[in-house]
Amino acid sequence: MSGIYTYKNVLTDAPAGAASPLAGVRVVVQPNISVRGWPCDAGSKALEGFVPLQDAEVVTRLKSAGALLVGSSRMAELGFGLTGETSVRSLGEGADVAAMTDTMGEARVASATEGFFGFKPSFGLVSRFGLIGLVPSMECTGVAGRDLNSIIDIMTTIAGKDPNDPSMPDEPPVDFTSTPQGFEGPFRAGIVKESLDLLNETEAHAFKAGLARMEAIGAAIEEVSLPGYSLFRAVHNTVAAVEASSSAGKYDSVRFGHRSPQGRNWNEMYLASRGESFRLPVKAFLFQGAFFQFEDYGAFEDACRIRNRLVRETTDVLGAVDFLVFPTRRMEHDAWAAGSVRAVYESFMLTLPANVTGSPAVQVPGCAVHDGVDIGLQIMGRRRDDARLLSAASAIASSVLRG
Amino acid sequence: MKYEAVIGLEIHVQLNSATKLFCDCPNRPGDEPNRNTCPVCLWLPGNLPHLSREALEKATVACLALNCTIQPVSAFDQKVYYYPDLPKGFQLSQHHLPLSRNGWVDIAAEKGGMKRLRIHHIHMEEDVAKLVHETEGKTPISLVDFNRAGTPLIEIVSEPDIRSPYEAMEYIKALRTQLRYTGTAECSMEQGTMRVDANISIRPEGTSEFNTKVEVKNMNSIRNVGDAIAYEITRQTECLEKGEAIILHTRLWDPDKRVTTAMRGKFAGPCVPDPSVAKIRVTEDWLKRMQERLPEMPAKKAERFVTEYGLTPDEALAMSLDRDISEFFEDTAKRGLSPHKVTNWITTHLAPMLKDRNQTIEETALTAERFARLLAMLEKGVINAHGAREILLKLLESNESPEDLVEKGQFRQVSDTSELEGIIDGIIADHSADVEDFRKGNEKVVGFLMGLAMKASKGKANPKLLREMLVKRLG
Repeated sequence: MSGIYTYKNVLTDAPAGAASPLAGVRVVVQPNISVRGWPCDAGSKALEGFVPLQDAEVVTRLKSAGALLVGSSRMAELGFGLTGETSVRSLGEGADVAAMTDTMGEARVASATEGFFGFKPSFGLVSRFGLIGLVPSMECTGVAGRDLNSIIDIMTTIAGKDPNDPSMPDEPPVDFTSTPQGFEGPFRAGIVKESLDLLNETEAHAFKAGLARMEAIGAAIEEVSLPGYSLFRAVHNTVAAVEASSSAGKYDSVRFGHRSPQGRNWNEMYLASRGESFRLPVKAFLFQGAFFQFEDYGAFEDACRIRNRLVRETTDVLGAVDFLVFPTRRMEHDAWAAGSVRAVYESFMLTLPANVTGSPAVQVPGCAVHDGVDIGLQIMGRRRDDARLLSAASAIASSVLRG
Repeated sequence: MKYEAVIGLEIHVQLNSATKLFCDCPNRPGDEPNRNTCPVCLWLPGNLPHLSREALEKATVACLALNCTIQPVSAFDQKVYYYPDLPKGFQLSQHHLPLSRNGWVDIAAEKGGMKRLRIHHIHMEEDVAKLVHETEGKTPISLVDFNRAGTPLIEIVSEPDIRSPYEAMEYIKALRTQLRYTGTAECSMEQGTMRVDANISIRPEGTSEFNTKVEVKNMNSIRNVGDAIAYEITRQTECLEKGEAIILHTRLWDPDKRVTTAMRGKFAGPCVPDPSVAKIRVTEDWLKRMQERLPEMPAKKAERFVTEYGLTPDEALAMSLDRDISEFFEDTAKRGLSPHKVTNWITTHLAPMLKDRNQTIEETALTAERFARLLAMLEKGVINAHGAREILLKLLESNESPEDLVEKGQFRQVSDTSELEGIIDGIIADHSADVEDFRKGNEKVVGFLMGLAMKASKGKANPKLLREMLVKRLG
């Protein structure tokens, strides 16, 4: 247990009333989601000793819905990838669901590896207030769980406009209450032909098995094209690195965080502290961002422009079909073992497009299986179509249970 | 060769909104250090900025007062650099899409007439924290005060239209007049609510290219801006004459030695669009409401004072430069008094008194109604100018009526001829030599004797009557 948690809740909160929607639900959070009074170091020496003064909006809502916060897990430094991440492992040991930051697919890939469900909501649906984030325009709080119902319950609680997060658009709330019963098939699902090149033979077989599951519940599968698909990775890498470089700029080791004894003046102390605090691969990622900021701003502007194009292309394709379907992970690219920026990106190739476009995406276990290997079935929907997406995932999951 | 200067000014003005730009902390940098702070303006992890509507509105009104066009879409960028007064590592500023563009102000040109100086754009930004360096003790330390962190600024960037220290100073004064009129900013260079950086380059007169410029900072008065620019023009001219190249860099004005000294290379950090602060989209309806908030501006008001009150252009200018004064003037003049007399009393008596006391009219007890009653008594001859002045001083401090003050202070003018005769008798008896002098033709003696007689009446004699009687007796 001690290997999973960085902090365990020692307070025995008054048991929530039976009427509370999340009464008895045990939630683990990553230590980059602010819980008042808990150490929240976001997995980095740069935040050593930082204790938030306020709860994140997500935490406020979970607490008031009666959820029990069991503690915080370990996580990859500043939430970049999955190196060292333990929140999904806690699902077998003491927690029912994990609130995980999904910046390039972390909640989905981690769930796929462990055989769980993982969900990344539409961008702007869940407040980022209190999230000690890295890539503001791509990250959001995702949820991993052993079953979809608990994920739906959590989403019902945490989704919705928060005045403390002005970056959330003024849109009507997404209604999760009728999910999953609200599902009305059949539906049309597209497979992006450009994505299939990423799969090896076993993965291709596993993916086919997953598609067969979908067809079995009445989905019409068709091949669609996203001509810009190969650009998702470069766009994500460029934009995310620049935003990360800005976001991590505030870690100066003065008010919290590891402070180096080196240096004869503040500037030397600052450089030494940051040098000693950040580890690979995040350090390299921050360097990339600073490079684009200071040396090649034009490349960043290009990436922003291409990002807009990719959002349009994806929206167009999702106008013709209800969902897009991808595998979740690739067997040969272990996100936990990724030690370089390149390796991290390789392990999230199939999930990061949803972060670039802000679309919702859900990982379903037990369908895309071949030779005993489950690569995960990932379904991505239109922005703000989160409830229907989760309904469809429920229908598929039920058919798996029925065998 | 003759050179001319090309000067551009970048002016930061602190808006006087109640709260900071991105949180609800009070916008009072001068309070006890670090009192007006919260997780947002301390820039702690996990917090998100939310733009203050009031600050945006004040910035917009300020832009309109400087004749700028409000842009349909503006947005905040992160100006990336690290310094201990900016521990967030970036400053939120509008680099790519500023709030407004293309403004102007008119100044009186050096050689007569008006000159229009253009404004390139105005953008909003947050101020940084304040560093206090304590070098006295055994170990020098630096303290950081976050009261100022996140307070709202506008930066006014001029076109390089300015050609002399005089024009630079007039430009700053014109901005200050306009902004103070709108009530959106205090604009005091001495208090630091207005900060001016000057970009200066020189070129052979008559040419049109822009040469390498030097930035000068740290001037804490309008005068200092003029002096620093004048110094810099001379310094650069000497450099060119010696054949030295001008290097792009920043210099600091030293107000004691009255020179500029090199500080550092000019720094330009990258500016990245901020992903969290919402874009500002201006609707026509909202913009209309902002325009309605703009008061009648000084140039327009001066014109009206000429046509409506018959003031001379100089009088109208003097009565319109300050909004409080202009409103006080109009309120007084409307009460049936001669507008010239009101102007005269405001300029020569009231304005210097306020300056001495370092107060605005609002901060004193004086009202236009009581000021008018005072001037009416003067006009009717109940009191003389000396008495009116004494009473005006009292009206600044108490709510008593001017009539009561006249009685209580015995300021009523003495027009009683027998009383005046007695005074004149005494003066003539004591100064027979001077009286002889007058009778020999030295008319200057009248003034001297008048002074003595006024003094003997404790300033209360009706001067016109006294003079008449004195001259008659001497004759």
